[in-house]
Parts: sequence; structure tokens; C-alpha cells
Amino acid sequence: MKVYPTIGMETHVELKTESKMFCACKVEETESPNTNLCPTCLGLPGSLPVPNKKAIEMITLLGISLDCEITKNGMFHRKNYFYPDLPKNYQISQFDFPIGVNGKLQIVSENELSDIEIERVHMEEDTGKSIHAGGGRIDTAEYTLLDFNRSGIPLVEIVTKPVISNAKQAVSYIEELRQLVIDIDISHAKLELGNLRFDANISVASKDEKELGVKVEIKNMNSLKSLERAIDYEIERQGDLKEKNEKIVQETRHWDEKLEKTISMRTKEGSADYRYFSDPDIPNMNLTKDFIDSVVKNPPELPKDRRERYVASGLSLEEASHIVKSDKWVRELFEDMKINVENIRSAYLWVTGELLGQLRKLNIENKPEHLRGDNFGELISLVDEGEVSSSTGKEILSELIQRDFSPKDYAESNNLIQENSEEYINNLILKVLDSHHEIVERIKLGEDKLVGFLVGEVMKESSASLNPSLVRELIAKETK
Amino acid sequence: MVEINNITIKKAHEGLKDKSFSSLELTEEIFKVAANSESVLHAHLVLMHDEAVKKAKETDSRIAKDGMIGELDGIPLSIKDNMNLKGYGTTCSSKILSNYISPYDATVVKRLRENGTIFVGKTNLDEFAMGSSTENSAYGPTKNPWDPDCVPGGSSGGSAAVVSVGSALGSLGSDTGGSIRQPASFCGVVGFKPTYGTVSRFGLIAFASSLDQIGPITKTSEDAKIIYNAISGYDSKDATSLNLKSASLPEDSSAKVGIVKELMGEGIADDVKSEVERVIKILEEEGHQVSEVSLPMTKMAISIYYLIAPAECSANLARFDGVRFGLRKDGNTSYEMSDKTRAEGFGDEVKRRILLGTYALSAGYYDAYYGQALKARNQVVNEFKEVFKSVDYLISPTTPSTAFKFGEKTTNPLEMYMSDLCTIPANLAGLPAISIPTGIDDNGMPFSIQLMSPELTDISLLNFSSYIEKIIAFDQVPSKWRKEP
Amino acid sequence: MPEDFDIQEIAKLASIELNKDELKRLHKELEIILEHVEALSNIKLGDSDITIHPLGIDLTLRDDKVEEGLSHDESISNAPDRKDGYFKVPPSMD
Repeated sequence: MKVYPTIGMETHVELKTESKMFCACKVEETESPNTNLCPTCLGLPGSLPVPNKKAIEMITLLGISLDCEITKNGMFHRKNYFYPDLPKNYQISQFDFPIGVNGKLQIVSENELSDIEIERVHMEEDTGKSIHAGGGRIDTAEYTLLDFNRSGIPLVEIVTKPVISNAKQAVSYIEELRQLVIDIDISHAKLELGNLRFDANISVASKDEKELGVKVEIKNMNSLKSLERAIDYEIERQGDLKEKNEKIVQETRHWDEKLEKTISMRTKEGSADYRYFSDPDIPNMNLTKDFIDSVVKNPPELPKDRRERYVASGLSLEEASHIVKSDKWVRELFEDMKINVENIRSAYLWVTGELLGQLRKLNIENKPEHLRGDNFGELISLVDEGEVSSSTGKEILSELIQRDFSPKDYAESNNLIQENSEEYINNLILKVLDSHHEIVERIKLGEDKLVGFLVGEVMKESSASLNPSLVRELIAKETK
Repeated sequence: MVEINNITIKKAHEGLKDKSFSSLELTEEIFKVAANSESVLHAHLVLMHDEAVKKAKETDSRIAKDGMIGELDGIPLSIKDNMNLKGYGTTCSSKILSNYISPYDATVVKRLRENGTIFVGKTNLDEFAMGSSTENSAYGPTKNPWDPDCVPGGSSGGSAAVVSVGSALGSLGSDTGGSIRQPASFCGVVGFKPTYGTVSRFGLIAFASSLDQIGPITKTSEDAKIIYNAISGYDSKDATSLNLKSASLPEDSSAKVGIVKELMGEGIADDVKSEVERVIKILEEEGHQVSEVSLPMTKMAISIYYLIAPAECSANLARFDGVRFGLRKDGNTSYEMSDKTRAEGFGDEVKRRILLGTYALSAGYYDAYYGQALKARNQVVNEFKEVFKSVDYLISPTTPSTAFKFGEKTTNPLEMYMSDLCTIPANLAGLPAISIPTGIDDNGMPFSIQLMSPELTDISLLNFSSYIEKIIAFDQVPSKWRKEP
Repeated sequence: MPEDFDIQEIAKLASIELNKDELKRLHKELEIILEHVEALSNIKLGDSDITIHPLGIDLTLRDDKVEEGLSHDESISNAPDRKDGYFKVPPSMD
């Protein structure tokens, strides 16, 4: 039975502030447990929360970047539930007055642009970390160990409306959101460190059903690959149930990476009663026009604007998306090259193809120190203008990765410049053709393969480097 | 020469300055009184003698150097045991914190330390500051020095009793619905609740965050002002802390006084009413314009309070779960551990309020209960604003009756809640309020009056209160506690 | 309205284990209190903005600076049970 999935994504982004959301403890990735604590983030009796200005500036910038309406009257709420890694047994979050509502994020999925509607963006604090020891899985643990270093780190929650229609779109959404928070400099957004975490809400409906189906929440997807697999699996699972006319339970399921399926957690039908109420320890946050203006004073370029700009200068949508999602140094190098190189696609291919390929083989992840727009650009221009062959160009690049020099000077001094004068080449060609009459005849009769042999002979005859494709072209003309 | 017996903070400071006695002598005298009174009164949960002696010697060396010391230097004060004092236990008179040692100082404690204050000890309270008699302490009640068969009031019963007998020259209490003023009233001493936000709550174990305020309990309003000046002021660790200028009011006979009609009627004992009227007459004789004002929402004050306070406390007390500190009862899962720990660690009144608050916030009931209470609270605030347009200060009884006997009001919770009738409104509106003793009733128990004023007029209120004190000249001290075995 | 509250459910939300007698007693006590506050529910009050602070002040945000907090030892000094620097609790099922 064909079912139509509806997907909503809930994403948590850790902000890269110096101190925590409600106290002045350090935000730090550390191995030693319980080292960055104070009465507030440890939830000791008598402690009080004081919100971090930078975090509010960051979330406001995010809200604006997502085209949200920014609230004038920010308020924090207490979300009440008991869990050992939640020190106060309530989380300070936002309920009815989130920082931003009704925004959108432009994504590219399967080469199509679309806007994903954002329901809300709100501020909250992270919890501590639980390590379930003994059995490995949560339900076979003997005891639980708690580390509160992460407790109180500023967390932004972004919730989409249920408008995503397939797994690939969901992945593109996360990729775009991730790039956005990196570009506006509010988060490191490293998935492997948990800086960015996401859950998916999935429901399916059959063709004639007008209402959304029962919503199932999927948690524990730790990579984009597992996100895609989990969504696909879940859509199929729900589809199967629907086909058999069986009930789809509203619940939370975990994605099991090993078993490659979603598994039902303790079934708590219906939603928990969090008893939200405005936090009496934190007065109203009045986000004035001045405050918002100061946040967007020098707005960083958004991924979508960058993408648009690249497309306008000649890249395809796919190419533009690819570069936009690359590491910052790659993008910056590419930008630098755009100025120095006429053909933007050439710049794109050299940077994302050849350069990254060579670096991968050398196990280098960062930008080679000496590589800049001017020297790399010079190299590319040499190749594009046919002054050196592309294979020579690649060799020069491997040198340029190691040290700084002018590719043009290098090519000249090493005699790598190809002779491109047609007159010179034609003279050589005529000489060669003259001494290979039978071969010429055979080519004329259709044995095109032999052109290569002639190209080689011409190259041998020449004292200067020749552009092989130009030689072939001219030979072909002569042997028509 | 200043006599060391039963003195005020102000007099003690003079005595230290003019070397009538040393800080060590003063401190030892205080501890002598404590030694003589604790077996009867049980006002202190812990005494900090060694630390106090150490600090007293430091004060004495400061005096020896240049004689310049601050008003609180070398002055022995006690702290209610719901404020964190680093290195010592803070129990909140609860079993659930019986083994908790504070790893940090409350801001008020830090500020007192910086002033050279000597800490006598931590005082007894109703568990988690919930109560009006100190009968809810898990460590046994405190007795009223005027009559040990009577309650000292609550929740700061211990803090009031120590000042009353002189085993501290002053103390810090906390007031959420009257917990400083009511015990001060029952014990015949001065109790001052400041404007909400003028004294930092950082380090005060929270009961109801939007209502709690720390304040001094002393023998005189002047002493209360000395402590208030030391502990008040903006604290960046408390987001509800104020950074606003104070406002002043007339502090002499030109001050206009309003009698709150609703607090002089039903529910107030006749003799209490008469005492307030007596004081009003004195004020009128002094030339004050006294008029009757109305705060209609006062009738709902108890209901509003008993929805807001439990709701906030249900969340504030959620952190007591046996995970990171305090009592822990074992369980197979962490949930079981938490359920059992809280069942064993919390007393009845605390459980009652947590459950009430949880219910008031729960899905489906929020609008009718908590949501409604918030709206009603706004109305209380507005009524006060309106009334203060025509008068400078408000006068009322502090409590519906003088100190009642142990067990008298424990049959049903509502009875006890009613004793907060006069004090709750000031907490709801965040206004400063003070209770001062004025006389003795037929049973030898102290009477008092309460004065309230607009937000941020704390200093004027304290000065005005001081001026009234001088006119009334109440100078009695309790003696019945001495006769106890 | 007071009659239909489920004391067992509320106790569960509040993580307090109560025995049968306590449940009965607390149900009665809460009923008495709720009856009293019922009068408040019946008053018609207009809609007003929620002000967190009784004096209606706005929040002053904190500058993003790190300050020293508790040492590791101070942090776990009150832990009822610990292991290798972690707080240890019975298994917390999700």
C-alpha cells in the first residue's frame, strides 16, 4: 500500500558560548567527570539561574536567520519531570513565548529547492550525561553513573512543522541547518560530539486520508546515515501496519544501529504532564528593537544566499550546494579563487575534486598553508588557457601543496609550457605525416585509433611541450 | 560604659568601640545565654562556638589596631537553617537534608562575613520554611521564651526566640507569607521583611521563589536597619535582585497612615484589635492623619498564596531526590530510590504542599488554580498601588492572635494557614513590611503591630518604625523560660 | 471539582511514595484546602499580562564570562554514592 509520510524534525543545537546558560561555569568538552560545576548547574539547594546574554544573542540571530518572528516578551518556563541527569528535576526551557516562531529554512533535496517551515525556536539548558553500566543497554544496566559537566550548557531547540515528506529531505534539512549554525558562528555543530542532535516525528497516511496519522517519535539517530535509514525503516513499518489494518501506537521508539530497526521504548501512551509554569527566578526578557538591531548589525552570509550567489555566477545548483556545505577553508579558498579565475566551474572542480582528492591521499584535513587564491588561481588559468596540460597541472598542484611559488614561473623554468602555436605544430605534423604515409591512408579508411600513434610521434618530434588535445585536433583535420 | 546584658546591636557596637568590653567577652556572654536557654527553648540546631571565638579574636585585633570597626564587626548573629553557610550543615529542619554540608555561602552570609559578623549558630524552623509555629521541624519544636507552652511562631521560630532571650544580638530569618514577622510578633521582637528583590536569595533554600525574602529579626528597628544595610543590594547571582534606587517617605508626624479595614474585622481577636487601636490613638495624638483604607482582595489573599506558594515549592523541592546530596533510600531503579527517599525524608506539611502545588499545575487544572491565582495576585498589587496614593504607611495587626499553644492549630491545615492572614498580602505585592512589639496581653504574651509601605521605601519604613518604637517604648523581656527545669 | 483529583496520580508526578493510609489522609486534607480556594476560581478576573517579578522588572542578562565554581571534590562531597568521580545511582530506566 502506498503511504504518504509526514515528517517533522526536532533538533537540539549546543551553543558555543564560553559559559553555561544559567551560570558562569565553563562550557568544555572534557573527559574528567564533574569538573565544571557550581551550585546552579549541579542543582544544589539555594542556587539560582541567571541567563547568558551571548546565548540569547545567538538564538536571536538564529531566529532572524530563519525568518522567524522574534518575540518581544521572552519568558522562561519550568518543564517538570524527574530524571537523575536533570539536577533540579525540572529543565528551564520556553513554553508559550519561544524566542522565534513561524520561520523557514531553504533546503536543496534531490536537486530541488524548497522551504521547510519552522514552527518554533526556543532556548533551554542541556542535561547531564548518564552512563548505564553493567548491561550495555538501558534495560539491562546494573547502575547508572552521572556526569553533570554538560548540565546547563545552552541548547537551542528548533522544531519544524510536519512538512518534510521523505528521508532524503530530512537529511538535507539537517545538513542545511547544520551549515547555517556553523556559518552564523553559534555552534561547532559536530554530530559526533553531540553538538547537534535530532529526533524525527513520523506519521503516514493513505491516499484518501485527509488527517495526519498517528505520530511516532524516533530517537537515538547519531548520524545522517542512521537518520535516513531510520526514517525509511519507520515509514515501511508503519506502512505495513496500515496495510494489515493494525494499530499504530503513538510512542517513542529508539533506532537500533546494529539491528537496523526502530525499537519500542517503555510505552507511555499519550504525552507526559510537564506542568509548565513561568520560572519565578527569571524576570521577563524584554527583547528591544535596539537589542535585535545590535544582534544583526553585521549579519553573516547565510548558506542560501551564498548558494544563490554561486548559482548566479555560473555553478549548477548541485555544485553550489556542495561547496556551501564544505568546510569553511574550502569555501573560502574557492571564494578567493573566483576572483582570480575566469571559469568558476573550473575553480569549483579543481578545489573540490583534484585538491581534496590529493589532500585525502596525504591524510591532510586542513588548508595547506601556502595555497591561496592567487597562486592556485594562476595554476588553473595556465591549464584552462592550454598553456600546460591538465596532467602537468595536477603535478604542479602537488608541489604547490608543499611549498609556495608562482606556477607560471615554475612551468616556464621547467619547460612545461605547452607550445600552442598552430603554425609550429602544423609544421611538425606535416613532417610526421610525410614519413608515415601508410598510416595516414589507414586513418583515412577509418582506423581512427592510429591517430594516437601519430600524436605520440608529433610529441616526440617537438622540443617544447605540446598540448596533446590540440595536436590530435590538428592531425584529425589533416587526415580527414 | 555599656552593660553587656541584653543589649542591642547598636549599643554593642558602641561598647566595642569604647572598649567597655571585648568582642571575645561579648561573644562568650552570648554563648552563656545560649547554654542556659537551649535546653528549654531548642532554638538553635547547631552552635558554632569555636568558629565564633576565632572570629571574635579577629575583631579584637582589628579594634586594637585602630579602633575603626564597622557596625556589625564582632556582633554575634544567628542564621536560620535554610541559608547555606559553607562548611556547615544546612538542614532546613528536614530529615532529607540531615547530612548535607553546604559547599558554598549564601550571598547574605558572605556579606555578613565581610562585615566581620560572628555567627552564633543555625536556628530551628518549620521544615523547609513551611509553617507558622515551628511545630513542623523534624528536629523538634522551639519553645516561646514568653511561655514555653506556646509556639514561638514560624517558620523562623528559632531566629525569633534567640533574639528574644539574647542568645544572639540579631538573626536572619526568611519570610514567604509572614515567616519573619509572625514569629517576631509572637516573641516580642522586631521582624522586617524587605521589598522583594532588595536582598539576594542566592543561597537561601527556596520555598516559593516569587515570595521568599531574607530579613533581620532584632530587638529594635534601628538594629534591623543596620543588618539590612549590610545584606541588601544588587547581586548578579540572583536574577530577581533589584538594581533600583530607593524611594523615601515622610518619617515623622507628617506621615499619613492608613488602617486596613479588612484586617481589622473578622478573624482577628478582640484584644489584638484593641491593641492596634491603642497604637493608632497614640499616632493620632502625635498629629498623624489616620484614615481607613480598603484592600478588598485581601479576603482572597490566603487562597492566592496557598496556590502560588505550593506550586512554586513543588518544583523547588523536586531536586531533593537522593541523587547528588542528602538522604537516600535505596531502590531497584532511580525512580524507586527517589520515590522512597522523598516519602521518608519529607514531613507531612511539606508533602501536603508539594501535592497541592503539583495538582494546581497539572494539566487541565492550571487555568482554574495557578493561572487564576497569578491574575488575582496582579489585582492585589494594583490595590496596594491605589491605596498608597493617599497614605504613606499602612497599619494592621501582624497576627490574628497572640502566640497560641502547641497543638492548638494542628487539627486541620487550614486553621494554621489562617494565621498568615495579615502578613501574606505584603509578600504577594512584594512590599516591605515590619512587625514591632507594642505591649503584653493578659496572659503575658506580646502584642505587636505591622507597618507596610510602598516598594523600595525600606529605609523610610525602618526609620518610621523606629520613631514609633520610641513613642511606644516597649521594653519588656521574657522571663518565664528561665523558670523551666 | 475538588472531588475528582487522583491523589495517587499526583503523588506519582511528585515522586513521593505514599502508603494507603497516607493517601487517604492526604486526599481528605487536600480536599479541605481545595474547597477553600474554590472561591478564588469562581471570581471573574480579566486577562492581564503575566509578570514574573512582583515589581515587574525586566531581566538583566549576564555577560558570557567564565568564573570559578566548585572543585571536583566539593561537587561530589555530598554524594550518597559515587564511583570514579561520577555520581552513582540505581539504573535509571528511560
